[in-house]
Amino acid sequence: MNRKKESPIYRKLRGYAFDPALSLIIDTVDINDIVYKVSWEDKLDPGPCGEYIEVVDYDPTIKRSYTPVDLNETYVLANEGVSPSESNPQFHQQMVYAVAMITIRNFEKALGRKILWAPRQTREDWKYESYVGRLRIYPHALRDANAYYSPLKKAILFGYFSASPADKTQLMPGSLVFTCLSHDIIAHEVTHAILDGLHRFYNQPSNPDVLAFHEAFADIVALFQHFTFPDVLKHQIAKTKGNLEKQNLLGQLAQQFGAAIGQYGSLRDALGETDQETNEWKPSKPNPLDYENVLEPHKRGSILVAAVFEAFLTIYRQRVADLLRIATGGSGVLPEGELHPDLVNRLAAEAAKSAQHVLSMCLRAIDYCPPVDITFGDFLRAIITADADIVSDDSHHYRLAFIEAFRRRGIYPKGIRTLSEESLQYRVDWEGLEEDTKGFFNIIGDFLRDYRSKVTYVTSRKEIFDISQKFIKGTYANRSGLHESLWMKFDNSYQFEKLTGLVFNGDWKSFGVKGEDKASYQILNLRLVSRVGPNGEQVNQIVFGLVQRVGVRFENDQFQECYIPKSDQDPPIGGFEVWGGCTLIFDLDTVQLKYAISKPLLVPDKLERYVRELNQDRIDEHYQYQTEVLPLSVSQVSQYFALGFNSNLTEMFSLLHKG
Amino acid sequence: MTDSLSNPITKVIVHMYKMGTGDCFVLKFMAKEQETFKMMIDCGTWNRKFVDIRPFISTLKKDVSKHVDVMVVTHEHKDHVLGFQAGKKQFTSGFNIDRIWMGWSENDTDEKVKSWKDKHGEKKAALNLAVSQLKDPAHKRRTERQLDGSSHLNEIIEQRRYFAEVLADFAELHVSGGEYKGSLQGMAVVKKDIANNNISYFRPGTVMENIEGLEGVRIYVLGPPELWERIRQESGEEGEAYKHNRELEESDLFLQALEANGTSQPDNTLYPFEEFYLMDKGEKLKPYERPEESWRRIDYDWLYSSGAFALRMNSLTNNLSLALAFEFLPSGKVILFPGDAEFGSWKSWHDINWKDKGYDVSTEDLLNRVVFYKVAHHLSHNGTARSIGLDMMTHDGLAAMATLDYDDISNGWKSTMPNRQIIRDLLEKTKGRTMILNETGLHYDFEGQIPLSDEIATYREKMSDDEKEKFKNAYNNKSEHYLEYVVTL
Repeated sequence: MNRKKESPIYRKLRGYAFDPALSLIIDTVDINDIVYKVSWEDKLDPGPCGEYIEVVDYDPTIKRSYTPVDLNETYVLANEGVSPSESNPQFHQQMVYAVAMITIRNFEKALGRKILWAPRQTREDWKYESYVGRLRIYPHALRDANAYYSPLKKAILFGYFSASPADKTQLMPGSLVFTCLSHDIIAHEVTHAILDGLHRFYNQPSNPDVLAFHEAFADIVALFQHFTFPDVLKHQIAKTKGNLEKQNLLGQLAQQFGAAIGQYGSLRDALGETDQETNEWKPSKPNPLDYENVLEPHKRGSILVAAVFEAFLTIYRQRVADLLRIATGGSGVLPEGELHPDLVNRLAAEAAKSAQHVLSMCLRAIDYCPPVDITFGDFLRAIITADADIVSDDSHHYRLAFIEAFRRRGIYPKGIRTLSEESLQYRVDWEGLEEDTKGFFNIIGDFLRDYRSKVTYVTSRKEIFDISQKFIKGTYANRSGLHESLWMKFDNSYQFEKLTGLVFNGDWKSFGVKGEDKASYQILNLRLVSRVGPNGEQVNQIVFGLVQRVGVRFENDQFQECYIPKSDQDPPIGGFEVWGGCTLIFDLDTVQLKYAISKPLLVPDKLERYVRELNQDRIDEHYQYQTEVLPLSVSQVSQYFALGFNSNLTEMFSLLHKG
Repeated sequence: MTDSLSNPITKVIVHMYKMGTGDCFVLKFMAKEQETFKMMIDCGTWNRKFVDIRPFISTLKKDVSKHVDVMVVTHEHKDHVLGFQAGKKQFTSGFNIDRIWMGWSENDTDEKVKSWKDKHGEKKAALNLAVSQLKDPAHKRRTERQLDGSSHLNEIIEQRRYFAEVLADFAELHVSGGEYKGSLQGMAVVKKDIANNNISYFRPGTVMENIEGLEGVRIYVLGPPELWERIRQESGEEGEAYKHNRELEESDLFLQALEANGTSQPDNTLYPFEEFYLMDKGEKLKPYERPEESWRRIDYDWLYSSGAFALRMNSLTNNLSLALAFEFLPSGKVILFPGDAEFGSWKSWHDINWKDKGYDVSTEDLLNRVVFYKVAHHLSHNGTARSIGLDMMTHDGLAAMATLDYDDISNGWKSTMPNRQIIRDLLEKTKGRTMILNETGLHYDFEGQIPLSDEIATYREKMSDDEKEKFKNAYNNKSEHYLEYVVTL
C-alpha cells in the first residue's frame, strides 16, 4: 500500500489546568489535569524545539541544564506527554511548550496568518533587522517570583521561588513554586512576545494607555484563553447553588486565577471583591472617573480588563438565558440539590464558547489598531470595525456588549460624538477621493496584488519574512519597493497626507522630519490577511503600517520649534520625538483602500483646505504626559536603578511590577 | 499632667548639621532663655571622608558643651551612623552622654532580635555577593562579546554598569568594608565604645513624660512597628495562596544561589530538582551553545533580581527607625522626628491606641499639630506618607528640614530624591519654610530647568509680613557646619 501517511492534526500533551499554587484556594485538586491539544509538528527536537518555540532549559543560577524532553519518544507519545509532576523539569518544558503553542494558534486563527516574532535590531535606526525564527523560552531562568519577556533577547524568562504559604495545612512551607507551571503566566508572557512582533512601537509610552495596554492585552488573552477550556469551568459551575442568574462565579474565578502570586493578580482586582461579611463575591461597579484619574499602568490596565470581562459576561448571559429559563422554570432560582450534569455541561460549553468569541474579537482587533500611540478608545474602535468586517449578523449583540462595557467606564475614543456601531467604525470614503488619488492607490493595489501572489502559498515563515522585506525595500525583481513607490506616487499629495497624517511633501525638514532625498518614514508589518467569518464571510486584506517621527523642542512648557532627530546625537535641551503613524488596510478583491487608522502628525482638517500644519494638540498632549504623568508611573526599582523606557535596554514586560 | 507648669519648654533650637546626605541633629530645649535639655539625633552622612567629617563633630561638641542628656540613634544605616565611626575618638573622650535611645529592634540581648539579625546578616552578605558578581570584569567582557552587533550595545553596557553601581551603594548602606555579620561599624562603635550600659530600647506605644529638664514635654514613640510578630502570622492578602511578603522574607533560594556562586562546588541542596534530571556538568544544550545566538544567553540576568531585593532590604531597615513625636504643653505643638520611616511604618503609627494608655490623643491628632517635621528619608517618595502623613499636617506654622545634599549622595538616589510631589506639597504647606541641607543642583521640575532654590524663594516671598519676620528670626545659616531653626512653642 503506497498511500501517503497523513500527519496527525494534534499532539496531545497533558498539563495543569490551574497553577498548582492555586489549587489551594479553588479546591481543584481533582480536576487539575487537562489535555492540551497542540498543533502537530513533524519536526520537533528534544527541548522541545519546534518551528516557533525552542525551550532551552538552562538554569544559570546553578550553571546546569536539565535534560530536555523528547516529545516524539514512543512512550511519551503514547501517554499524551510525560506525566504532570511539579518535581519533573521535563514536564515543565512540556507545559510551557503546550501553552505557548496554544496561544500562538489562537492568534493565528484570529489573525488569519502566521505569526512572526519581532526581528532583532542589529543597528540603530531600525534599518537592519534579522529574522528571528524561534522564540526562546527558559523555564528555570530566575530565582524570583517573577517572569518576563525580553525584547532584547527575544526570549521569555521564568522564575521559581520558595514560598511561605498562607495556609500551612494545605502546602508544605518552603515548597517551590514555578511560574512556568501557570497557564496564565505562560500565556501572558507569550502574548507580550507576539504583540511585540505585531506592533513593536507599543513599547513607547506616548500616552497613559500605552504601557497599560500591553499589560491589559496580555492579561485578557491569558484569562480568556483559560476560559476556553470547558472542563476548567464545569467543576466550578457544578458547585453553584442557588440563584443562577447572579452568575458571579465566573468573575470570581477570573480573579482567583490571578491571585496566586500576590501582585500578579493586580490586573484582575478591578473585576470585583469578596464582601467581608457575607463572603459573597460581587463584581465592582465601574467608575468612569477611574479612566480619568488612574494613571499607574497596572491599575489603568485593569480598567480595560474589567471592560472586556463585562462584555464577556453580558454575552454569556445572553447565550444562556434560555437555558436558565428552562432549568428554573422561569423563576431564576434552582430547586434544592446539585445541578443537573447536563445543565452543567451546557453552561460550561456556552461559557467556553463565549470566551473563545471574545478572545477572537480582541485578537482580530489588533490588526485594526494604529501602529503607535494606542489608546483604549482606539482598541474599542478596532474591535467593532474588525468584527463588523467579518460578522455580518450580530444576532447576539456582541458589539453592543462591548460598547456598553466601555461606555460604563468612561472610555470614549477621541473625536467620536456618539457611541454607536456606525460612528465607531473606521471607514475611508473611497468615493470621496480625488481621481488622481484613486488612480495612485490602484497602482499600489496592483503592486500589492503582486505581493499577494508571491506570498499566498508560501508556508515557510522565514520566506514570508524575506519576501515581505524585499517588497518593502525593493530588491525584488529589480523593482522599486513599496517604500519608494509610495513616495513616488504620493509625494506632495494632500489627500494622502490627510489619510495617513504623515509628512509627505518636499518641505519635510521644516516639520522636523529627517531624510536626505525624501522624507524619512518606515513601512511596518506588510502582511496578507485571510479570514473566514462564522457565516462564511470572507475577509481578504493586505495590511501595513506607516510610521514617522518628528523632533520638537519645548521650553517653559511651550512649543518652540522643530528639530531633525538624529540617532547618534542627543536631542537638544527640551527636545523629544513625537511619533505619528497609520495602519492602511486594503481590500484585496476590490483593491481599494478600505481603512486608514491614523495618529496624525499633520492636522487632517487643515489638509482638507490644502494647509499643512503640525498637529499641535497631539504634540502638547504628549509633552504633558511625558513631563507630568510618566515620571510618576515609574516603579521604585526603575527609579533607583535608572531603568528607562527603552525596551531594548530594560526588561519592561516583567510580570510583577515590584515596588 | 494636670498641674500647672512652672517652667515649661518655650522653644527648641534645632541644628541640622550639613555633613552630606544623612542625618545629624542637635536639639536644645529652652525654658525661656535657660537651656534645660540637650539631645542629639543620629550622626551620619553618605560617603564623606573621615577627615572631613571630624570638624563637624568638633563643632557639635562645642555646640552642646561636650554633653548631651540623650543621644538618639534611629536606625542602622550608614547615612545615620557613619559619623560615630569617623569620630570614635571624639565621642569616647571628652564627651558625656547620659542616655542612648534606640528602637527595640536594636536590642541584641533579645533572642528574637538576635536570630533575626543573623538572618539579616546573611542577606547583607548575599547582597554583597550579588554586587561582586555583577561588577566582575568577566561579566562585562562576556556581555560585550555576546551582545556584539546589537543596536544600542553601548547603552546596554552602561546601564548594566550603572545598575551594579547603585546596587553597590545599597549594599554599602548595610555593610562596612565587607564585614556584614553583626552591626554596621558605626552602630558597633555606639554600642560597644560609646555606650556605657546606658542604652534604652523603645517599643511603639510608649509615652515618656516628666523627664527632668523637659517640663511639659511628652514624647510619643511611634515606631518601629513590631514587624516580625506580623510575619509569623498568616497575613496574606485576601485570596492569596502565598504571602507575597514584600517586606522581609526574600526567597531563600535566591540567597542560596548567590552564596553558592561564589564557591566552586555547589552542593545539591541547591538544586530545585533531583540530580537525576540534571545533565552532566560538562554537557551543554545545543541551542544555548550556538555562537551566532550568543546574544540570547542569560548567564547574568538572574542577578538583576537583586535590585528589587536591595530595595526591600533598604525599606526594611528604614522601617526599623525609631520614630518620635515630641508634644509640648501647654501649646500642644508637636515636633516630629521619624528617622527614615517609610510608608509601612507610618501606617502602623495609626494603629496605636494611645487612649488605652491614658492619653487622649490619636496619631492623626498629633500629626495635625506638627510645627516642625524632619523629612524622612531625604525627600524620597516612600519616606513621607501622603494621605496618612503629610496631608494630616495641617498646622499653619509648619516648617520642615530635609537632609539632602547632591554633593554627597548615591547616584541612584538622585533620581528619586527629591520627590517632586512631596516637595510641592511641602512648599505649599510650609509656605516656603522648607529648609534643605544643600539646595545646589536640586530642581523643582522634571525637566531640570527650574532650580529648587528659586521656587523656595518664590514661596517665601508670598508669606505675610508677619510670617516673614518670624521666619527671619527663627532661621539662620551663619554657621559653616549647621543650619539653625528655632521652633517657638
